Amino acid sequence: MSPGPATALLAAVATVAFLIDRIWALALITAVLLVLIVRAPVRRRWLYVSGALFGALGVIVISPFTWSSGGGTLLWEGPTLPVIGPLDLSTDEIRIAVVSGLRFAAVALAFSVYTLLVDHDRLVSAAGFARRSALAVALATRLVPSLERDAAGLAEAIRGRGVELHGARGYATLLSPLVAGSLERATGLAEAMEARGYGRSGSTRAPRPAWTWLDRLALAGAVVLVGVAAWL
Amino acid sequence: MAVAPLVTVEGLSFAYPGSVPAVRDLSLELYRGEVVALLGPSGSGKSTLLRALAGLVPHFHGGHFSGRVEVAGLDTRTYGPAELAGTVASVFQDPEDQVIMTRVGNEIAFGLENVGTAPAKIWSRVARALAGVGIAGLGERRTFELSGGELQRVCLAAALALAPELLLLDEPTSQLDAEGADLFLEAVERAGCAVVLSEQRIDRALAIADRVILMEEGRIVLDAPVVEARPLLAARRPRYVAGAVADEAKPAELAGEPLVALQDVCFAYGDGPAILSGCSLTVRRGEVVALEGRNGSGKTTLARIAAGLAEPDAGTVTRTGRVTYLSQDPGRYLVRETALEEVALGVGGDEVRAAAALEDLGLTFAACRHPRDLSSGERQRLGIAAVSVSEPDLLVLDEPTRGIDPDRKAALSAWLLRQAAEGRGVLVATHDPLLPAHRRVRLGEPVEVRVEA
Repeated sequence: MSPGPATALLAAVATVAFLIDRIWALALITAVLLVLIVRAPVRRRWLYVSGALFGALGVIVISPFTWSSGGGTLLWEGPTLPVIGPLDLSTDEIRIAVVSGLRFAAVALAFSVYTLLVDHDRLVSAAGFARRSALAVALATRLVPSLERDAAGLAEAIRGRGVELHGARGYATLLSPLVAGSLERATGLAEAMEARGYGRSGSTRAPRPAWTWLDRLALAGAVVLVGVAAWL
Repeated sequence: MAVAPLVTVEGLSFAYPGSVPAVRDLSLELYRGEVVALLGPSGSGKSTLLRALAGLVPHFHGGHFSGRVEVAGLDTRTYGPAELAGTVASVFQDPEDQVIMTRVGNEIAFGLENVGTAPAKIWSRVARALAGVGIAGLGERRTFELSGGELQRVCLAAALALAPELLLLDEPTSQLDAEGADLFLEAVERAGCAVVLSEQRIDRALAIADRVILMEEGRIVLDAPVVEARPLLAARRPRYVAGAVADEAKPAELAGEPLVALQDVCFAYGDGPAILSGCSLTVRRGEVVALEGRNGSGKTTLARIAAGLAEPDAGTVTRTGRVTYLSQDPGRYLVRETALEEVALGVGGDEVRAAAALEDLGLTFAACRHPRDLSSGERQRLGIAAVSVSEPDLLVLDEPTRGIDPDRKAALSAWLLRQAAEGRGVLVATHDPLLPAHRRVRLGEPVEVRVEA
């Protein structure tokens, strides 16, 4: 499938996940996206999948305790805490937490599928307008693997000196050098782009394959999906 | 009738913002088809000169520029790098920092699109460029799946596809093994355009060059045809001339107890092909062991296993004593605000020991500077100081001489031998056949490591 329609379809799926609150529909979207993401390389996909699923689990487990719906059947009533207020758990809160968790998972997985499986180069080429913005998005996406490698390299460099990183606080110390390294890499990339004529007037485009019936179907499907979700 | 020069540089001086001049009063002319080896120690101004020829200095970097640079009749003060693209093409040292697109074919097409090549001609020129550097089959591959050597050839193909009149190469073979570097430079030789090649592998550069320019402290101190330049180089920089070996390898008189012993080690990334199968290696106290092999042969993997940073799938690893490890390109992995703090990290913040380690590697001047403000060669030495400060029993170093000039390499070689003489074991993964070692271990044929598609 061409990257344009594929991106439109993923964006539609993410939009639908925001619009609907039916658990079965959100679960179906999450399941379909999980099946799709299996096509990505194992070493790259685990980070995205675990981030999406553990994030969703966190939302489901924690969020019912952070507010009171006032509706549904009260299942448990705990103490009242400063700032947070009364701790309780009702069927209504659990249902809403599951919806929020599945919504989080669906949106995160849609982004993951876009990052891991869509051909960003062709997406940039297909951008009839706002090509610079499309290239910026594509570059940011392309730098994700570099960022992953740099993070692993930093952790290994520290361990290689015989220093162990302990807990979230230990790894948090790597954030600043990681950002500094990314900025350095981005500067190098910008220099290379300029040296290769980026931004010059009179640029052309290499010819690309025309859309197939599947691409048209995907685009129509994206429109229908959003329409149906809005109507429901 | 006199031939008009392709490039004219007159009285060029340039200082990066807030810095002392990187180049001073340079004047030279370059002619079509000429291959120039641009030599000199780290920080001598080679990269700045290349950037000036590409228009990146001053347009991209800012700073104080004086003098005149004209390429193919275009004054770089008027025409920026984007306008010069096509006439000039550059390949920088680190391919990871210059690859823009995710597929190889698109990467080559990127420059052609920017310079306004007719759409109908773009894909045929992409195919020709890929074939020209010997990677015709890689067009559909994702760039992040490629090895460093393949990626560097992609960068060269992207430059040659533009059919430039002037090709600028800034240490382009520093990440390649000997065979990869030869293939790369053969492709450069075939290009037929004027080439300025900044290179620390001097013998290779001289083999294809017509002319040598030697820079020191921002000035040109030698500019002559290769034949005339060789004796002058030998007098001024003896280690730059082919055949001048840095330091003789000596027998390991003190080789003692084994510090690490790997027995029948096997390793594969995920469910990919085996990188190592049945490798055995012992490093003893008091010896320097050089681990050699082509790109992808498993040197880094074996070094990481020896250092305890990766576990083998099969086989046994026995370690005695403390091990530290320096990764490739350590300048990218610096984490503290000053060089002193960076080194002190390995000894629990002991700044006295850190200062001594900096002094040992000639970096006392950098103690209070931010590590990222140092040159690449200085960062490399800072990385070595950071792993050696804790006086480990075994030092494992991955390509420590990469991108280092011959004089610095000789100093580092002496330092390595001193470490061994002091009773440490040293394991060095290297492409450098001149690095002195008590033993050399060569790994087998390379295995292509692909990220699953």
